[in-house]
Amino acid sequence: MQYLSNLWADAHGAILEYLVQPLMFRIGLTTYYEDVGAAVELVMLGATQILVILCVFRPIERGWSGERWSDPRPVRVDVTYTLLNQLGLLPLLVFVVMLPLVDELLDMTRLHGFVLPTVEQLVPWLGRNPLALFLVYFAAYDFAGYWMHRLQHALPWWWALHSLHHSQRQVGVWTDNRNHVFDDILREIWLAVVAILIGVEPGQYVGLILATRLIESFSHANVRFGFGRVFDKIVVDPWFHRTHHALASPAEPHIHDRNFSAVLPIWDILFRTAVYDYKPRPTGVDDPGVDADNALGWWGQQVAVGKRLGAAIAATFARQRTSRAT
Amino acid sequence: MENPYICNGRAGIVAALLRGLAAFVVVLGCAGHGGSGVSAQEIETAIVLNSEEASVSVVDRKAMVQTHKFTVGREPHHIILTPDGRDLVLASTVTNELLFLDPATGIERRRIRNIVDPYQLGYSPDGKWFVTAAFRLHHVDIYEAKDFRLAKRIFIQSLPSHMAFDKASKTVFVTLQGTNSIVAYDLATQAELWTAPVGEAPAGILVLPDQKSLLVGLTGEDAAVVVDIEKRAVTKRIPTGRGAHNIFPMPGGKRILITNRIENTISAIDLATLSVVDTFHVSGGPDDLDFTPDGKQFWVTQRFRRKVAAVDMATRQVLGTVAVGRSPHGIFINGPHTVLRTVEPPAPAGKRP
Ligand SMILES: [Zn+2]
Repeated sequence: MQYLSNLWADAHGAILEYLVQPLMFRIGLTTYYEDVGAAVELVMLGATQILVILCVFRPIERGWSGERWSDPRPVRVDVTYTLLNQLGLLPLLVFVVMLPLVDELLDMTRLHGFVLPTVEQLVPWLGRNPLALFLVYFAAYDFAGYWMHRLQHALPWWWALHSLHHSQRQVGVWTDNRNHVFDDILREIWLAVVAILIGVEPGQYVGLILATRLIESFSHANVRFGFGRVFDKIVVDPWFHRTHHALASPAEPHIHDRNFSAVLPIWDILFRTAVYDYKPRPTGVDDPGVDADNALGWWGQQVAVGKRLGAAIAATFARQRTSRAT
Repeated sequence: MENPYICNGRAGIVAALLRGLAAFVVVLGCAGHGGSGVSAQEIETAIVLNSEEASVSVVDRKAMVQTHKFTVGREPHHIILTPDGRDLVLASTVTNELLFLDPATGIERRRIRNIVDPYQLGYSPDGKWFVTAAFRLHHVDIYEAKDFRLAKRIFIQSLPSHMAFDKASKTVFVTLQGTNSIVAYDLATQAELWTAPVGEAPAGILVLPDQKSLLVGLTGEDAAVVVDIEKRAVTKRIPTGRGAHNIFPMPGGKRILITNRIENTISAIDLATLSVVDTFHVSGGPDDLDFTPDGKQFWVTQRFRRKVAAVDMATRQVLGTVAVGRSPHGIFINGPHTVLRTVEPPAPAGKRP
């Protein structure tokens, strides 16, 4: 672990020192030198995730595959999502949406002398126990993620976007990043609000992001196994998350409105949305309009889902108008 | 009257941790000194601020290891001594606070809140004024050092980054990275005196001993420039290396060191001839540095490498590196040399702010 962490630090340092900082200097952006470090690390995170998917998760998926897939095309689209998001879009959104939002709001309040206490200031014991502090932040961000996910399913306009993620009938280790760009932007805004309210983990936030993303990727794996009846209550496994992706049926019309947790199933257990029945189910969305996503490529999906969002917003306004009229 | 911002006696966890550390160091010190007590000079530590992970590393300079790490607010960047040398002032930028530490042990003595975005900080040589540059929030604050009452907040949309004071404690000069210029403020009236363009991304700044000119590191270029205070113009350019950044007077006061962050070198400039007389190679984007009490080494933060490097000034060799935290920025080495940190000797005892 220490070895890996040193390796990471050395690689990050070398990229900054030999590649990125000289480039920043050349194009006259040395002033922003403090921000670049984080940007480079985000791209490194993405590359690491892709590498782990390729070298670890894919072989597992091949060896213990659950479903046999007939059409490779929709899977290729998910690969496109993963490459695009991990290497470009997500780091970009962090710097274009999330950090500016956090900075703007924090700076505004800070300028007036208003600073929320950090977690360690509230509970000094945590300041002395980095691992415990890490877990507290991990749980807090996951908790916030759980509630965002509940909203993604509950609000019709947000479901119009998020249903793209669920439309995949061949859910696998590449599916985690299958999201509309607007959905990614909303997630960054959500994260920004959480970052303002509870702060950013001071030491190991890179490890925090990586751990979250890897668990999320693996929970989509096309396998028929889990972590066992004890561990699957602690960490989300493929069984647990597959139920969330299940195709609704007349017998189970809301099966996809279960198992929302991304990493820690405790939230589903606490808020009574957990299902542990280990039943193999097909995945997808029982709405032909949404299912049509599968015939499209990356760009086609972005356009189609954008229209779906427009229609959902229009429908919301129409509903409000009729309710006011009556 | 009690100052509402000062939380005296707020020992907290940092203090507790450091007490433990101090005890550890004392034990080590006693072992090495036949059981006699230990004085401040014998504690051979370096205090390093890991700006991106909100922590402070305490490094044992003899064993070349990090002995301890503790969390402090968010984004601690710089650390300075009070003019009387009694307190170390650590500024936590995002949590708007100053921590006053014992320079020998690092134990927290008091904490001052509501210092908004204290990215860079400095005392006037007479100890009367305390100035902060809020890099992110674009303002310069001038406080009365005795009670940290804000005399004036001067908004300036230009990323104020580093500062220097004249010997008479009349003027503070601040580098402005957003507009590639420097600004001078009158401390007593807090009025802006003048601004002058100096070059790309000016950072470290120093008033030269003759009090007639300034030395400014240009991080966006590969040189330091000399700025004539009366003419308010650049009169000389001293090529040092790409990313010329912060400036540190060397023991003896005849030379300065300037870190070249992109070139990965540190240049020594002779103050009499204003020319480069020596170069040290240190990788990892060298940023802030400090000198050991014997004046033989300097320790410099390697921001991209998450390390600090110890450099022997006679041989120009890197003696070793110590792993610390993310993006280490400010560094402080305790010892009797600390007077060299300010251009002027410290104010007499009793004039403590
Ligand atoms: Zn979902």
